[in-house]
Amino acid sequence: MRRYVQIAKNTWDETFTYRFSFITYRIRNILQILTVYYLWTFFIPQNTTFLGYTQSQMLTYILATMIVSSVVMATRSQAIGNDINQGNLSSFLLKPMNYFGYWFARDIGDKAVNLLFSIAELTLLFMLLHPPFFMQTNPFFLVSAILSISLGTILYFYFSVLMGCFGFWSNEIWGPRFVFYQLLSFFAGSLFPLDILPKNLYAVIEYLPFSYLLYFPIKIYLGDLSILMIIKGLLITGFWIGVMHLLVSRVWNKGLRIYTAYGR
Amino acid sequence: MPIISVSHLSKTYRVHTKEAGLSGTLKAIVSREYKTIPAVDDISFVIDSGEVVGFIGPNGAGKTTTLKCLSGLLYPTKGTIDVLGYEPFKRDYQFLREISLVMGQKNQLWWDLPAQETFLLNKEIYDISDEQYKTVLHDLVALLEVEELLTVSVKTLSLGQRMKMELIASLLHTPKVLFLDEPTIGLDVVMQQKIREFLREYNKKYNASILLTSHYMGDVEELCKRVIIINFGKIIYDGLLADLVKKFAPEKKIRIIFHEYVDPKKLEKYGKFVSFQFPEWVIHVPRDKTNTTTAAILKDLPVADVFIEDPDIEGIIREVFAREKKI
Repeated sequence: MRRYVQIAKNTWDETFTYRFSFITYRIRNILQILTVYYLWTFFIPQNTTFLGYTQSQMLTYILATMIVSSVVMATRSQAIGNDINQGNLSSFLLKPMNYFGYWFARDIGDKAVNLLFSIAELTLLFMLLHPPFFMQTNPFFLVSAILSISLGTILYFYFSVLMGCFGFWSNEIWGPRFVFYQLLSFFAGSLFPLDILPKNLYAVIEYLPFSYLLYFPIKIYLGDLSILMIIKGLLITGFWIGVMHLLVSRVWNKGLRIYTAYGR
Repeated sequence: MPIISVSHLSKTYRVHTKEAGLSGTLKAIVSREYKTIPAVDDISFVIDSGEVVGFIGPNGAGKTTTLKCLSGLLYPTKGTIDVLGYEPFKRDYQFLREISLVMGQKNQLWWDLPAQETFLLNKEIYDISDEQYKTVLHDLVALLEVEELLTVSVKTLSLGQRMKMELIASLLHTPKVLFLDEPTIGLDVVMQQKIREFLREYNKKYNASILLTSHYMGDVEELCKRVIIINFGKIIYDGLLADLVKKFAPEKKIRIIFHEYVDPKKLEKYGKFVSFQFPEWVIHVPRDKTNTTTAAILKDLPVADVFIEDPDIEGIIREVFAREKKI
């Protein structure tokens, strides 16, 4: 366990080596949030509703994606593909340590930094904008939301590792990865709550894994879902984690057999 | 007791080929051609505990591939490998705790952080006790003289300094089996010597088996009694370095310094003439006649000094490869 703590700590330290990069990355994040935020204030004037959302609900949703994505979707593991392609994977394979455990620990370190900054930035936004924000007080919803976020974090990690594993077969992992993440973040609900989509489409999305990364935990937080719907959603998340786990282990083991430990 | 046994190991790579230039690139996008390259071709050998073996061969001979197979990085195409009773590719944690692969051209250190952060992490990964960590780290740091560099971020270190840190990181868990791929590459002569001394010490202290590749024959000569020579993926010699010298250099070199001038004609009968530049005279003599010839020379001629030498290893290795090509 201590090794993973050390890895998380090293990741934390490393982030602050590149202070300027980190800060510019955060600024980009804030700008993104502000863009979506102002777009929705324009679309839904106060005291009106749009596709069932009041301005306050919609803005809460948008601000919540900021926090939730800093936990669920902040990751370092996109480097796995490069590790494979450049042969850096070798030095990990030589150690009595789980490579995915290593990356998950790095992610925890990364998420901790990002969460910290998200909270700070959000506080700043609140002081400047005084946005209407819905505070959930029901402990059931809060606990379920945290559970859902944790499962979403694991699910997203598997996605990221799977994308990285393509490095075994191809040098060109950047392109597919980029497209995949654009789609993923759209279907996860990072731009708008997914239930404003047409019913048919939403019915399909509900059974895909993506909405459980952002949309679902936020909806739980907002108190919009019944207990039954929450249980169903958590089960679907669990199912996808199982599927991804099997898929990743298969792909990983196949990949290792053709791994060439390039260039060293 | 054999620590490593390799039998009929083969490893092939599948690589795609591309013709030179833009048209080649375009062609490669549409249809890619692959070819299979044998890197290691049916090799077998055994290494005992405590042995230090030099693994020699030209670039691309298959040395590094073999080391990678032995340390579990690569899946062998054919054949079996046994290291300390484990099958390397399974990468059993117990196995990984007992071995280390040091590559002169690669880095496990965290680039942006001081080296000691990597050391601390390795301490946790290998479950090294505080006590052992302290002693071993202290030893290594003192030997390699890197005390004041421990707190400097790795990216600012020089190549040689990084190599030292790399060695420390790889040896903290005191592995029983050590695979070294060009451990002295890029180091200055003083440092090379230090690393050799260190490896010799390490071998003695832990009775560790060491398999090392190097382009510096000095490394091999000083450390290894036994060498395995590999070329085009096949083993062409496996035996004592001394025997290799006997086999490929049947003659010894005798160098004599005269204290007064001698007529070159008088010297012809002693052996094969190499050079004569007063006061130095060099001849080649068959190994078994070295003693008698030297005695005769000492008796007959005004000798100030005599040196009996083996031809240098590098020359012998060149000779081995040259013969190989002709076959």
